[in-house]
Amino acid sequence: MVAQLVRRAETSGPPLDEVLAEAIYHEQRRLHDDHGKRADADRVFWRDIKHRLGRASDRTQRELLEEVIGHYAGEIVGNFDPKVYGAVTKAGPPALGLLLNAVSPKRLLGGFGSFPSLDDAVILQGDIDHAKKLEQQGTLILVPTHMSNLDSIIIGFAILKMGLPPFIYGAGLNLFSNPMIGYFMHNLGAYTVDRKKTDPLYKDVLKSYCGITLENDYDNIFFPGGTRSRSGAVEGKLKLGLLGAGISAYVENLKRGVPKPKLFIVPATLSYELTLEAETLIDDFLKDVGKSRYIISDDEFSKPKRVFDFLTSLLSLESRIYVTVSKPMDPFGNPVDLEGNSLDPMGRIIDTSRYVVDDHGVPVTDEARDAEYTREVGERVVESFLRDNVIMGTHVTARAVFGLLRKYNPKLPIIRLVRAGGQHEDVELLEVYAAVDKLLAELRALALSKNVRLDPRIERARPEDVVEDGLRHFAIYHTTPAVTRRGDRVFATDRNLLFYYQNRLEGLGVWPEPEMSGALSKDRRTLGGS
Amino acid sequence: MALEIAMIGGGRLAEVMARLLSAAKGDIRVRHWARNPEVREKFGERYPSFSRHDSVQDATKNARIVVLAVPTHALEEVATRYGEVATADQVVLHACRGAGPGFVLPHKVIRGVTCARKIVTLGGPLHGRDLGSGRSLAAAVASRFPQAIDAVRAMTAGTPVKLHPTQDIVGVEVAGAMSNVWALASGMSDALELGDTARGLLLTRGLVEAQRVGLALGADAATFAGIAGLGELIPRKVSSMERHQEAGAELARGKSLAGSILEGVTTAHAAVELSNKRRLKLPLLRAVASTLENPATARAALESVLALDLDDLVLPRPAVR
Repeated sequence: MVAQLVRRAETSGPPLDEVLAEAIYHEQRRLHDDHGKRADADRVFWRDIKHRLGRASDRTQRELLEEVIGHYAGEIVGNFDPKVYGAVTKAGPPALGLLLNAVSPKRLLGGFGSFPSLDDAVILQGDIDHAKKLEQQGTLILVPTHMSNLDSIIIGFAILKMGLPPFIYGAGLNLFSNPMIGYFMHNLGAYTVDRKKTDPLYKDVLKSYCGITLENDYDNIFFPGGTRSRSGAVEGKLKLGLLGAGISAYVENLKRGVPKPKLFIVPATLSYELTLEAETLIDDFLKDVGKSRYIISDDEFSKPKRVFDFLTSLLSLESRIYVTVSKPMDPFGNPVDLEGNSLDPMGRIIDTSRYVVDDHGVPVTDEARDAEYTREVGERVVESFLRDNVIMGTHVTARAVFGLLRKYNPKLPIIRLVRAGGQHEDVELLEVYAAVDKLLAELRALALSKNVRLDPRIERARPEDVVEDGLRHFAIYHTTPAVTRRGDRVFATDRNLLFYYQNRLEGLGVWPEPEMSGALSKDRRTLGGS
Repeated sequence: MALEIAMIGGGRLAEVMARLLSAAKGDIRVRHWARNPEVREKFGERYPSFSRHDSVQDATKNARIVVLAVPTHALEEVATRYGEVATADQVVLHACRGAGPGFVLPHKVIRGVTCARKIVTLGGPLHGRDLGSGRSLAAAVASRFPQAIDAVRAMTAGTPVKLHPTQDIVGVEVAGAMSNVWALASGMSDALELGDTARGLLLTRGLVEAQRVGLALGADAATFAGIAGLGELIPRKVSSMERHQEAGAELARGKSLAGSILEGVTTAHAAVELSNKRRLKLPLLRAVASTLENPATARAALESVLALDLDDLVLPRPAVR
């Protein structure tokens, strides 16, 4: 990979000294506010590079570039030890409980007999067999929604439970800060992604690493949302960089004439009844709506007790985490059959190699062309996410209460309604039931036409039971519940959380839409409403 | 190596495309197919350099560009037929100026029944009757794939048509479709003798409404101030008469256009559907659609639109240099 990247830098783009100077600039700027052992070591590294670059000949510049790329690559790749993976996976699901315990070394030392079993809480559903079959035909790129730092673990567990081989996946550097979990994550195929690094060369190395692993038939996981959903909504717009690696790898496979050149994109939607980091995430969303946000490194995930409390309360309430595997597609967004054939909208088999050939029929990469294919794949993935989103009691209850608050404060912008509250902050319980009833009717119709999924427990439940269930869940985990019932009225006790959970229904067009516009923008990245 | 082009269709649009391809100076080979054998025969006589084919499969085999030269109402059927034999590397060109039920744009229709991705739309003020006049002509050519635009430019090399490329396929298609509704309104206004000012006002409103529809569907605002929007409105609608204007005039005189397959008629109905769904403010479009339902209301419908305040066109910000 290092040689490949150096060659590319030499043959295209700016001169090497500029590439290096840019890397030094970006890294020194990052290190200005970064502290800790790793940052200290990085400072020494970059000082040295800067010193040597001053008088470097062309040859030395090349060597320096190799060093920098090697430095980035070393940090990204980490070490994968098949023995550790084997040991963890052979032990089966309980070992994943152990992995979860790793967030708390104390608990690990103190035994983990009382740790809840994920088997009961994590429900796998959707096109699992299809994905498994395709794994035999080519390389899988699993693209899950991203709600929580627990996602990596839940997805790891899901892959294991599905009987798939290990996947390679990128995880934020902060997840590796706990030595125990970092050790396991590296050995379960995780590589590090440092989102604080803004150097374009770093991003190139990261992308190349993914590309090379894909070309070598390693199944990959990308979180195409890029970061956890701050608003609580299902991702409406994706970061396409890594998703596009599928096409590049496909072209390379065709060029090399590998026997199984195909890659398959498998969206997966994770749906939580409660989200571990909901308070921090929604706070971040509201603080800086529409602007780039800071990277959260000290949220609930970094507090072992919160993780434990979350999981125990989740399980004590018989809560569910759904992992729904969507219909797989090719890197161009076409559906695929069980044999891995790509299908056109009428169900006819397509020779996809012709999507990437030049005028002479030779497979080539073409940035503009591939970006367009990737954009379309992104749209298809977003549609899958929304369709395979599982709606639960907390979401419906929050939507109903928030919708009523909007109704009673019609002129208040969403941000003020959430931040300062309106004139009416509580609503009648009977009204909540009526709103839930309306929502359930709309959601059931959507579920019937396969445009969303419903938690089986609310499929036929009465509105009263759905509300009771929602209130019960809100009460048990969060510091302040999103909503609380007092007599025959329901109070919005934490409007941030209320907004967060109601956002899970954004994009479906259900009540209070269309009378009111959506609370989030069309791409669900910023505020909407009025 | 000659550029292989398959042309499908035998009507007015096919005639325009055939004239355009005949004027091309590049190394191109045109393979023609139309559903009706007699039309195929006549095309063959008029354009002897085109090879005649008996099936879509035969005509499109090894073609680099497939020209679907059919009007909007026939597009789905023809594209479905082509979809049976389409290959993923082919560039598909169309020049439809209408939207189907639900305001489905032509590129979506093609996308929905074929494996084709490299879809190109020809839009703007291109008129068949001007081809062969020796004058310089212009058209918008839109595709999200630059490679596909290059192929279409190679196809038209040497013709008097200057192609203005854009990636905004949605904008060009919306402007094209809505232009026919403007033309209906313009024809109605003329027949009712509302005067030049009223016509100017209605056309301006038409452009604003087209932009509003376009923005709702993800188009670029700039497209409507460019050749596919204003660039078409000025020469085409103000100084010339054409089918839609004539139809609009007949409508204002009380003749029903029920059952018409004119693109402006189907687009007006589809746009009302879209407007209801997306809550778009499109008074002119609604006025045209309501007149289509009841021609006797033409004057009242247009006058109610003329009485409204005019919204501004959202102009793109100038680029900072």
